[in-house]
Amino acid sequence: MAIHEKSLIEDERLLEHDSLVVDGVDVSGHWNTMITPRTIKDYDDDFEAKIQSYVGGENVHRCWQCGSCTNSCTMYAQNVQFNPRYWIYLTRLGLTDELIKDKDIIWQCVSCNKCTNICPKDVKPEGVMKALSHWMEEEGITEKSPSRIFDEEFADQIYAHGRIEDSKVLKNFFKKTGQPLVQGWLVEFSKRMMKGLPIAHGMRMGLNLVFTPKTKSWGKTGEVLQAYVREQKEAAHG
Amino acid sequence: MTQDTVLVVGAGPSGLTAAANVTAAGYKAVMVEKEDTLGGAPILSGYAKLVPSGEWAKDAIGRMVKRVEDDASVTIHKGAKVTKLDGDAGNFTATLSNGESVAAGAVVLATGFTHFDSINKPEWGFGTFEDVLTTTQMEQMVAAGKIACPSDGRVPERVCILLCVGSRDRQIGREWCSKICCTVSANLAMEIKELSPETDVFIYYMDIRTYGLYEDKFYWKSQEEFKTKFVKARIAEVTASGDGRLLVKGEDTLVKRPIVIPFDIVVHAIGMDPNADNPEISQVFGVGLEKHGFIERAEHYTNTCGTTRRGIYSCGAAYGPETIDDSIAQGAAAAGRAVGDLHALVQKAS
Ligand SMILES: Cc1cc2nc3c(=O)[nH]c(=O)nc-3n(C[C@H](O)[C@H](O)[C@H](O)COP(=O)(O)OP(=O)(O)OC[C@H]3O[C@@H](n4cnc5c(N)ncnc54)[C@H](O)[C@@H]3O)c2cc1C
Ligand code: SF4
Ligand code: SF4
Ligand code: SF4
Repeated sequence: MAIHEKSLIEDERLLEHDSLVVDGVDVSGHWNTMITPRTIKDYDDDFEAKIQSYVGGENVHRCWQCGSCTNSCTMYAQNVQFNPRYWIYLTRLGLTDELIKDKDIIWQCVSCNKCTNICPKDVKPEGVMKALSHWMEEEGITEKSPSRIFDEEFADQIYAHGRIEDSKVLKNFFKKTGQPLVQGWLVEFSKRMMKGLPIAHGMRMGLNLVFTPKTKSWGKTGEVLQAYVREQKEAAHG
Repeated sequence: MTQDTVLVVGAGPSGLTAAANVTAAGYKAVMVEKEDTLGGAPILSGYAKLVPSGEWAKDAIGRMVKRVEDDASVTIHKGAKVTKLDGDAGNFTATLSNGESVAAGAVVLATGFTHFDSINKPEWGFGTFEDVLTTTQMEQMVAAGKIACPSDGRVPERVCILLCVGSRDRQIGREWCSKICCTVSANLAMEIKELSPETDVFIYYMDIRTYGLYEDKFYWKSQEEFKTKFVKARIAEVTASGDGRLLVKGEDTLVKRPIVIPFDIVVHAIGMDPNADNPEISQVFGVGLEKHGFIERAEHYTNTCGTTRRGIYSCGAAYGPETIDDSIAQGAAAAGRAVGDLHALVQKAS
């Protein structure tokens, strides 16, 4: 079948011979375009339960595909590819390959909750969007968001020292997110803070940045805490 | 002598049937109807042709009314309610709002339902735009024989019917399907087309529930012979287009695209709420209500027509959304059970 709406079709499914003659007729180039079929061969039966194990995804099984969420959605108004109803359908059947195709837009949900207010089945689509984003981050399908990087740095310092050092959290966060370590606003912020700060306190802050002190008798507490958090996550998401 | 009389509350299809069956068994019936007209929802709301018979409501239900009115064993109180019920099974005394009192051995509650009030779904434009109607209003228009926009009398190019208005919606606490509105809407689409061939009718649905023999007679026929278009979308909003028409907005879930379509008339397929009187009925008659607010059944399989109180029976839309045909069947069953139990009481006493 020769087709013309190629922009709607994934590149890898378009077949085209540069030169081709069939029964003496020259059908070179786009005249011989073929598309390979998009047969769905299986469902991931456990996927719905997986998404339900994330906070916000609990009610995804209730959806009956009415489309009210999509229609009310703030992001859909900007971009019709942003379709919570469709993603909820994919989630329910476990069509993860299709979901992953939209990995670059699912996280764009602005949590306005218009969908939550209109849904006749109380699915809480906003929560499902969050759950899907978290799943994609955890699976490494999407890059970690800056907020997640920040959270991890924060938690890592707690595990290691039982406390955090503000300046160190900030420094490592900048490093990991590829931002310059010296930023205009920060310089100004520090200057103004130093003005009213006793000298000794300022010196201690500087020192702490280099030799991070531990909370008294922290010992193995961090390791135990880390193991507990890991266990909890595994219990929730399997 | 109270044990030869059954009090029937409500004169809709189910109550009219109950009364007729009570007297057919040789007992007396007393009907108490709060409106001044008998016939229940189909008459009070002026339905057009009924599903599935195709008969005009006023003829079909009219026959049921006449049968009871002509029956010397039926006493009818119109414009009255029961305000107090004393006694027990076999020996009740009901006090009516018109000051009279009725002695009866059993009571059948045939108190029906209340139409969903579309004002509770403001986003769908009812009460804001003149050309947004309910199925009952549209039925009245069909019964009057002319399809026209209420705003300016023009013949509509396009009419759409939105299904499940006031049903199947957790947001407004209505977690039931009203059972008949899919079929009624498919039927209405055909009636509109019949009266106004230049009008195209669209039905916006989430599911189509034209169960049993309603499938080909209404759904298929409406689609195949009357060209009704079925679109899988739940409408989000109805607004004005600026040129006197209405805009219906939603997502067409099958093509995955937003829709903003102009219509001349938008019809709400309103659902069946529990009778708004049910809290009062529950108190006066001492019967329980189930979780949605309808009357609770005694025991599903062995006491199907019973309520939570002995000697008090129910039937039809009082128990939950119901069709006329099933309301009639239940009215007959409730009457049978009521006189059967009375008969057993008399036997035991003698
Ligand atoms: C838009 C619409 C169209 C429909 N069309 C069809 C159709 O074509 N075919 C079909 O099979 N079904 C149809 N139905 C369903 C039909 O209306 C019901 O099945 C039927 O009316 C139920 O009969 P009923 O006697 O149980 O209750 P009702 O018809 O509701 O009758 C109850 C009666 O009790 C009276 N009453 C209520 N409370 C009290 C009280 N406290 N004291 C005294 N009296 C009281 C009421 O005034 C009323 O007369 C339709 C429903 C809707 C909403
Ligand atoms: S919360 Fe997200 S999915 Fe829901 S309407 Fe807003 S942007 Fe859309
Ligand atoms: S509004 Fe609710 S039920 Fe409807 S498609 Fe969206 S999530 Fe599903
Ligand atoms: S019968 Fe049809 S229109 Fe009525 S509530 Fe059920 S699904 Fe909705």
